[in-house]
Amino acid sequence: MGNTDRALRWLFRAGYGTVFLLLVAPVVVVTATSLSATTAVTFPPTDLSFRWYTTLFTQRVWMQAVQNSLLTAGGTAVFSTGLGVAGALGARHLSDRSQIAVSGLVLVPLLVPGVVLGVSLLIFFSRFGLQQRLSTIVLAHALWATPLTFSVMRATFSRFDWQLQEAAMDLGASRLRAFREVVVPNTVSGLVAAAAIAFVVSLQEFIMALFLSGRETRTIPVESWFALRGSLSPLVSVASTLLVGAVVLTLIIAATAIGLERVADDT
Amino acid sequence: MSVTAAGLRDRLQNGELRGLLVAPIVLFDLLVFVVPFGYLLRISLTERTQRGAFVEGSWSIEAFQYVLSTPTLIDSFLFTLWFAAGVTALSLGISLLYAYAIWRAAGGLRVALLGGVLVSMLTAIVVKLFAVQQLFAPNGVINQGILATGVIQEPLALINSAAGAVIGQLYIVVPYSVLAIYSVLSSVDESLLDAARDLGAGRLRAVVEVIIPHTIPGLIVAGVISFTWSVGSFAAPLLAGSSAERTTGIAISDLLQQNFDWAAAAAMGLLVATTVFVALAVTYGLLSYTGGGTDG
Repeated sequence: MGNTDRALRWLFRAGYGTVFLLLVAPVVVVTATSLSATTAVTFPPTDLSFRWYTTLFTQRVWMQAVQNSLLTAGGTAVFSTGLGVAGALGARHLSDRSQIAVSGLVLVPLLVPGVVLGVSLLIFFSRFGLQQRLSTIVLAHALWATPLTFSVMRATFSRFDWQLQEAAMDLGASRLRAFREVVVPNTVSGLVAAAAIAFVVSLQEFIMALFLSGRETRTIPVESWFALRGSLSPLVSVASTLLVGAVVLTLIIAATAIGLERVADDT
Repeated sequence: MSVTAAGLRDRLQNGELRGLLVAPIVLFDLLVFVVPFGYLLRISLTERTQRGAFVEGSWSIEAFQYVLSTPTLIDSFLFTLWFAAGVTALSLGISLLYAYAIWRAAGGLRVALLGGVLVSMLTAIVVKLFAVQQLFAPNGVINQGILATGVIQEPLALINSAAGAVIGQLYIVVPYSVLAIYSVLSSVDESLLDAARDLGAGRLRAVVEVIIPHTIPGLIVAGVISFTWSVGSFAAPLLAGSSAERTTGIAISDLLQQNFDWAAAAAMGLLVATTVFVALAVTYGLLSYTGGGTDG
């Protein structure tokens, strides 16, 4: 092997090694700084303690943010999964051209920058005096979550053997009962995955939430954003660590329900 | 009335109207996306005013004239295009290298490298930017590390600068970009590389001439993700950049919330949306062109 080849190989290793370290560094930094024993946010921290975790739970604004985030993410998960399931069931019975039109319409919001969507929705909802409400944040997040739940459910239903439902109906079950007792149990893993993905999208999103929230309706990312722009304390690290933890936990649930490979494939 | 209701129930029972189940999702996207977007277009065509956000019911192209004749706004738009182009170029380079590394790696290393991408995707943007502020600060570990090697005497301005804005934005786009390239690369047969090398090509030449052409569809998708997200960038330049890195996203937010000039904010928003759609249309053209090319 030539010297240039060897040098190239080491350069390549150093390159992807650096990228790997930079990719995982944020999680390491927030977790480490959340355990700070002092008021300073320093990485690496000198002494470790859980004092900021206990502090966070006594702070009204942060508890409010945790509650807002859970309500928004839960609402988005339920709402977008409902839309996705119904849409995916309906799309099976449409002509190819209508299917493409529906998928296109559902997908487009995912391609529009959050700033533009946020401004557009803020102006629109203000018209009806609906600004600064959690429900409007849920609608905004559903714009990004629904394309994902829709495609996960379409993939799920395309794998389901619909003759099973026909068989149940031949045996005397009504359409609704056949759906509830035959279709649902066989597609529940896709349902869980879709809901989890929607939950995660909402939990992480903050640009639209920033535009649409008020003092009382800030989510964790929005509250962190304001904290970052103000005086820094390890509380932001604690909130960030909890956020990452919640996301990982949700996806573990999804992954066990559906198998990790399919989460990646379907979305 | 009751006859039609019964008829409708029958048809539902027989499953003839099942296609109607798409109605909620279509209605949702119409009411929460298409209509608000139309309203944004309408507001961009109202008269600007000092008293209030816009003049109700008026028609004017004043807002577009204002946006296109105000140097700070034009500058921010041009800066955003440059910023997005720069981020896209860097993102493609980094992501190609990393996706190639995942592809070549085996066993535990491959899982670890893929895991790194996944971890980054699962870290919220705000969290990543917060970490960037810590890591790349003048007294952060990265600057201290480089200082210790003696290559530089003064810490580099890696945050609160253009470099910071770019680093922050890369943190947002690179994980998605890597996956886009890797998903295409993973279907390429690794023995192609060995074949090229058996035929006497050097390592670099084999990669450049044999592997990269196969990844073009992935590179295009990665490019469009990086570019469109950077055109709409807001958080990274605001948190990791300085006041000189004013992207269109920041300008829109200022127009809306500080100047209370909704007509101009709407016009600027449409400018960004149009840029994104033009980029997408060009990409779609490229993709169908290269898609046709690699089939043969």
